[in-house]
Amino acid sequence: MSMSKKTQEELDRWSKEVKRGAVTLAILALLSKRRAYGYEAVKILDEKMSFLALEQGTVYPLLRRLEKRELLKSEWDYDDPTKPKKYYAVTEEGLMALGAMEQTWSVLSREMRGVITEVE
Amino acid sequence: MSSNDPLELIDQYLDRVRVYLPLDSEDAIVELQTHLIEEAERIGEGKMTAGSAMMAIERMGDPKSVANEYAGSGKKVGPVPAEYTGPLSRMLVVIAGVALALIVGAIMIGASLTQLFGANIQNWPFSIPVMIVINLTILFVIIGGISMLDRNRPLTEKTTLESFFGIGVEGFKPKSRVDAAFDFGGGLFWGFVLLLPAVVNLYSEAFMQYYPVVAIFLFLGALRGALFYIGGENNFNLAVEAVLSVVWIGLAVILIGVGWPIQYVYGNTNGIWYRFDLLQFFQTNNIPFVPFPYIWTFIMFITVAFSVWRIIVSSMKITMYVRAGKGLWWQGNWGKRRRLKTPLWKRVLGDQRSYQGGTTYHDGYREDDESQ
Repeated sequence: MSMSKKTQEELDRWSKEVKRGAVTLAILALLSKRRAYGYEAVKILDEKMSFLALEQGTVYPLLRRLEKRELLKSEWDYDDPTKPKKYYAVTEEGLMALGAMEQTWSVLSREMRGVITEVE
Repeated sequence: MSSNDPLELIDQYLDRVRVYLPLDSEDAIVELQTHLIEEAERIGEGKMTAGSAMMAIERMGDPKSVANEYAGSGKKVGPVPAEYTGPLSRMLVVIAGVALALIVGAIMIGASLTQLFGANIQNWPFSIPVMIVINLTILFVIIGGISMLDRNRPLTEKTTLESFFGIGVEGFKPKSRVDAAFDFGGGLFWGFVLLLPAVVNLYSEAFMQYYPVVAIFLFLGALRGALFYIGGENNFNLAVEAVLSVVWIGLAVILIGVGWPIQYVYGNTNGIWYRFDLLQFFQTNNIPFVPFPYIWTFIMFITVAFSVWRIIVSSMKITMYVRAGKGLWWQGNWGKRRRLKTPLWKRVLGDQRSYQGGTTYHDGYREDDESQ
């Protein structure tokens, strides 16, 4: 069934809002497992989370903002001087925030599933 | 002119992005540089070519938008579009700073303001703002016209407007490590030269009292160079630079009065060294023009102007770093432009690596909502 233009617009708007919240959780979750530099993070997120459709223009500024808010810490790696890499990792504060976010996300998705099932 | 060297293309593109970013964005530039190189290598399946670099650049997009994604757009000020307020204000600071440095330098050597701007200015001083407004209007009309012709330029070529704003970026670049090394070496070398008995022998009587102070100042300059070489640009080093500049201006006030410091040069006749009195030579030969006071005044003018400029830049940068929550000392950046080209020694040794010739963010984030 093809979507009407209006439905598509609504979906786009809604997706944008959902993505906005999800992207922080996705980045924190990814970096809690392993440290990564910007390009690496962009590619992994692009591969694993097609819904988010994350591009460098979203990921880099978010990494910077999360670092500023001390949820992430960074370290430069100059092993290859032509391609210095800024590695990001989650801080203690970031891990705590991630834990709280994961819990909330679980509650939200469980309740959403419940609501959607009831409606169906 | 666009190059065929992929690294140069990336470098040129990042120069454009840099124009729209705040001063303390060198980290972001390096991050983007690595991203572009890796993306170009991925597109070229392991090889970076001019074509794959251009594709990576095109994917990244318009430099203004990229800078906006990173730093958020500034606030619109009057008729100036938001994305231009940063570079324009930086440019105005540079113009005002250079003007102030030159005026202070000129006043220090005894020139008055009316001499500088001409004695026949009508309605002084009200004519000055009028002249500035008229000139800026003409400038904007010219730049606006030229910008219309810039529309179809490739992404790697700076527009005329960006070249203009680029002057502002250059003015605030941190000291390079090579410059810091020269400051250290030069300060030590000249400090010791100044103290050599054979050189001291040549000083004028008036300068004789001050040369140890000048030598100490040069050693302090060497220390500043060493600090920048080790720590790059940080608040401590900037403060040292500002303090030394203030000290130099104070010292220059005295030295201008002291006059040309070298009265003698060494001569040699029949294998015998002797002191040759320069001033006496001019006087006894009735040479009416003695250049030394003018040379000395010019040297003092240049050094004072540079000192004023350093004080302005250091104070601005310290304020900027303090606002960003930085402390006194950290491993700062050096101003050496990060050359992406493979260094000569690597090319000579055949290290080819993978390089072969051949504040509303766009994602809907608002900085105000996110930042603390």
